[in-house]
Amino acid sequence: MKVAKIVITTAIALSLAVPAWAQQTTLRIFTGGQQRPDVMRKIADEYQKKNPNVKVEVEVGGATSEAQQQYLSTVLSAKDPVLDVILIDVIRPAQWAAQGWAEPLDSYLGADKAKLLPTYLKAYAEANQVNGKLVALPYFADAQFLYYRKDLLEKYKQPVPKTWDEMMETAKIITDGEKNPQLQGFSTAGAPIEGTVCTYLVPLWGAGSDMTKDGKLNLDTPEARQPFQLYGRMKQAGVLPKNVAEIPTDRIRVDFQAGNVVFAQNWGYFWNRVENDADTKVKGKVGVTILPHDKGGKSATCIGGWQLAVSAFSKNKAEAVKFARWLSSPEVSKMQAIMASHLPVFPSVYKDPEVLKANPWFADALPVVETAKSRPVSAQYPQVSDAIRSNMNAYLAGTKTTDVALNDMKNRLKPLYK
Amino acid sequence: MRDAPVARGKDLSERALGTLLLLPAGLLLAVIVVYPIATLFWGSLHSVDNANPAAGDQFVGFENYLRAFEDDRFWHSLAQTVVYVVVTVPGALVIGLGLALLANRPFRVKWPVRLGLLLPWALPLVFAGLIFRWFFEYQTGVVNDWLGRLGIAPLNWLSDPTLATIAICIAIMWKASSFMALMLLAGLQTIPKSLYEAAEVDGATAWQQFVEITLPMLRPAIFVALTFRTITAIQTFDIPYAMTGGGPGDATETLAMYIHKTTLDFLDFGYGSALAALMFVFSMVATSGYLKYTRRNAGRNGG
Repeated sequence: MKVAKIVITTAIALSLAVPAWAQQTTLRIFTGGQQRPDVMRKIADEYQKKNPNVKVEVEVGGATSEAQQQYLSTVLSAKDPVLDVILIDVIRPAQWAAQGWAEPLDSYLGADKAKLLPTYLKAYAEANQVNGKLVALPYFADAQFLYYRKDLLEKYKQPVPKTWDEMMETAKIITDGEKNPQLQGFSTAGAPIEGTVCTYLVPLWGAGSDMTKDGKLNLDTPEARQPFQLYGRMKQAGVLPKNVAEIPTDRIRVDFQAGNVVFAQNWGYFWNRVENDADTKVKGKVGVTILPHDKGGKSATCIGGWQLAVSAFSKNKAEAVKFARWLSSPEVSKMQAIMASHLPVFPSVYKDPEVLKANPWFADALPVVETAKSRPVSAQYPQVSDAIRSNMNAYLAGTKTTDVALNDMKNRLKPLYK
Repeated sequence: MRDAPVARGKDLSERALGTLLLLPAGLLLAVIVVYPIATLFWGSLHSVDNANPAAGDQFVGFENYLRAFEDDRFWHSLAQTVVYVVVTVPGALVIGLGLALLANRPFRVKWPVRLGLLLPWALPLVFAGLIFRWFFEYQTGVVNDWLGRLGIAPLNWLSDPTLATIAICIAIMWKASSFMALMLLAGLQTIPKSLYEAAEVDGATAWQQFVEITLPMLRPAIFVALTFRTITAIQTFDIPYAMTGGGPGDATETLAMYIHKTTLDFLDFGYGSALAALMFVFSMVATSGYLKYTRRNAGRNGG
């Protein structure tokens, strides 16, 4: 009798206790050091509160997109199940789909997919689909903007430039007038890094062309020479910094916030740093607008941003997709916008009063983000990127002429676009 | 339990016992040296189409090696590596020898000198690269600041192919001299003082002592140091990676950097393995040259 009682109570206790810990799922999400892992942690805490059966671990690695990918390539080539959800750069979905690293999300979302996709900014809905399969979900948006010194433009009574030529003239007027040898007219990424791919593509798009046409390489056009010639003219006019071939993305920000740049091409993180950093000398003097274009052309900016992929080797795919789906919601987009100034992937969130209060410049950002174009989509994107950036870099350093740089670029791209 | 192995041990011949005792070390070497090299070589005979990786690995024979011979980037990165070897190996030897001779002087307190020697060697390569990148930075670097004080316009140290190569060589020599000096200092301390005392009695000058006693006695240490330095110079990666990232264009890219890019960025493991196998061959050729020389020398000394 007594024994039976013990057995029964133990059984009841166990049956109560078991669900609480036996169904506990641990999800591990990977994010880069530049994508505000602290904010990711807060968002994950929020998810844990809503889903007590899930524990989220945040793994942080790699300061650059390349460094992250090198680590992830190693982990995923080994089919390691340690990661469940992974933050990937917008340039990667094609490679991830080809390598079979990302779990296709179509079957998990079912009919939801058709309803979900139109709610995103169009560029992101497209960037995350490869051959009709949904490879990842958008987490936050990014794009390159033209930042300028409002105060200097006002001082010299210059309008905000619309074309590259106008920008060059304005920069020249201001740098000549200021007589400050440190002052650079226009700064953009020129070092052999990913950002330099956009340094080539933005003027190419602004001239109304693109690197590929119907999946074929399209660099035998006069427009393909335009970016080289543009920067050549800028160099001659003294508008570009003399060491432009050494300049990585964040160096532009450092120079700008020290008050040494009139115009700068950079990503979305730039505005908050130059406005809010303790050592900034340009607080309240920064304007932001769309990047220039050629006369008669149309501006287009380089798309950036980060996506949520579910690892094909995860052991908790269903839970991982659920988590990724929540991270890719207007609710989380808004949280990120307020806590990290990350650009939302939903047009509706840009107009949210709380978001605008935290980031007044988001009102100007939406029309720019809507013109954002993708860098070439390729399963071999790292090679594509290398061909563009190393030749753009060599041209900016003055070691290659337009003809040589463009020819070398084409020769390296040709085998990738057979 | 205690008797059995002993009893069996008695049955073993000398030779079998020797083999048995060498077995653990042999196994270890097989696992950590032979197996990876064999895998690398086997991998270099394969290729995967990264446009369609699902098709899997294909056996392609020596195609990857043929591709290397037609690849301008391979030849350029190899030539650049040779420049780093030819400049920094003798450079680091001369500077390291000077430092070692200096450190071998009878200082009253020895440890600050030794610590100073040790520091560059103890510093991770990437840190050394980053530090020198700051030195040679265009706007804020100390080198252009010095030039400015001398009335010379700032130079594009990191985006001009020649200047960048010079800057990288300086950084490598700074880093490598420390290791050279340590090796040579150890060698210097094995030279008996009596030789110098005898030379002094005979009226030899300091230079004569250096040429007739120090250098010949130091030869074994010099060769060991040169062998190590040459192998690491062939593998030069971290310092140019941190200083220029291979730029401008691919001008300062070394073979090791190209291998890294091919495998880790491009995921072209077959071609990357072939390049790595070629680098292994270059290292072997360079090292065997030294080994041959030292062996011949040892033979002569012995006879």
